[in-house]
Amino acid sequence: MIRVQSISKKYDKHLAVNDLTLQVKKGSIYGLLGSNGAGKTSLLKMIAGINRPDKGTIEINDLPVFENVAVKEKVVFIPDLLYFFPQATVAQMAAHYKEYYPGWSKDRFDQLKSAFNIDVNRKVHRLSKGMKRQVAFWLALSAMPDILILDEPIDGLDPVMRQKVKNLLFQDVAERELTVIISSHNLREIEDLCDHVGIMHNGKILIEKEIDDIKSDTHKVQLALADPTHEEHLLNQLNILHHEKRGSVSLLIVRGSEEQINKIIYSFNVLLYDLLPLTLEEIFIYEMEDVGYEIEKILL
Amino acid sequence: MFQLDVRSRKPIYEQLVDKIKELIIHRILKPDEQLPSVRMLSSQLTVNPNTIQRAYRELENQGYVYSIKGKGNFVAAIEQMTSDQKLLELKQDIKKLIAEAIYLGLTKEDLYVLFHEAHQQAKGVKRDD
Repeated sequence: MIRVQSISKKYDKHLAVNDLTLQVKKGSIYGLLGSNGAGKTSLLKMIAGINRPDKGTIEINDLPVFENVAVKEKVVFIPDLLYFFPQATVAQMAAHYKEYYPGWSKDRFDQLKSAFNIDVNRKVHRLSKGMKRQVAFWLALSAMPDILILDEPIDGLDPVMRQKVKNLLFQDVAERELTVIISSHNLREIEDLCDHVGIMHNGKILIEKEIDDIKSDTHKVQLALADPTHEEHLLNQLNILHHEKRGSVSLLIVRGSEEQINKIIYSFNVLLYDLLPLTLEEIFIYEMEDVGYEIEKILL
Repeated sequence: MFQLDVRSRKPIYEQLVDKIKELIIHRILKPDEQLPSVRMLSSQLTVNPNTIQRAYRELENQGYVYSIKGKGNFVAAIEQMTSDQKLLELKQDIKKLIAEAIYLGLTKEDLYVLFHEAHQQAKGVKRDD
């Protein structure tokens, strides 16, 4: 269980994280989405116990995390820029990890050898970007952490490897209730990985929910009314995130359950009515638009 | 056992619920048959185990599945299902479709033929069983 309680962090004059509260349950995979510069990495570094928040508290399993060895032994953080010791081979890195993480499992490391298929005697800095990522995952999973924090983890992995890594994560979540926090702006990646998502913007969490709830809570509606003069009356009854008109057809993004929306709309005389669930990408874009972070149509 | 459409807009857990229901209704999964464990299905489909857990819980709520602590999830006997509710929903859907078809020129006789064909099909499924 990770409990983040109203934390703030300032870098010089820039407020990176602003009074943010967040909870991640044990055994859950939490996806942290956000605009560029929203403060995702700052937040993750604080949860990993690397940086100290200016205000607020962060607890993992009811213990404060900053510089707390007892907690950090069970937390592995894979940053977006990987670091390995210069000239170290995979085997040497594994030996280092074994020193730091008491949960280190030699068996696991050997098992995973077949999944990653990288020679342990190769020097890590000579490997390709994607292979370095694989080594990072390999080491992290062998350390048998309770909590795994991943900053933009899937970058540079090929589709087969991606699927493999995902499967490995799922196995650990199912078997020993590993808790995972993942930041990304590749929404498609997150969509079939996480069970909870939080969308971050300007140092705050905008929405935080179970992913299936978000999806069944926001809908795309296409609508044409027999009598257009009723439209305003109809729109007033719905919780609308976004509204666009194409000829006589309205395109709406509406918050609310399918049932609710159906009930309201069927009380009018409709010529055309379509209701679709949203993709995470659409949800992200429309929620951002709601707080003024819009895709402007730029023509050069 | 089955495939999910990851590109679909439908939430994955809803897809899972619908697929498993279909298998149960068509008797591909027989009453008291054990469903694959969360762990196994998760690695087979590469789907978050929490999502699968949630789908199983939903199926249990709807009466399609029962669980035994420490043993897993099993298919419920058809008689135990709340089929009335489902039938009511289906009837409403059919009514909507028929209304649309009538507008496009469907006659009573057509409808009878359709019913007959569907009836044959349903019986056919049972014979395969």
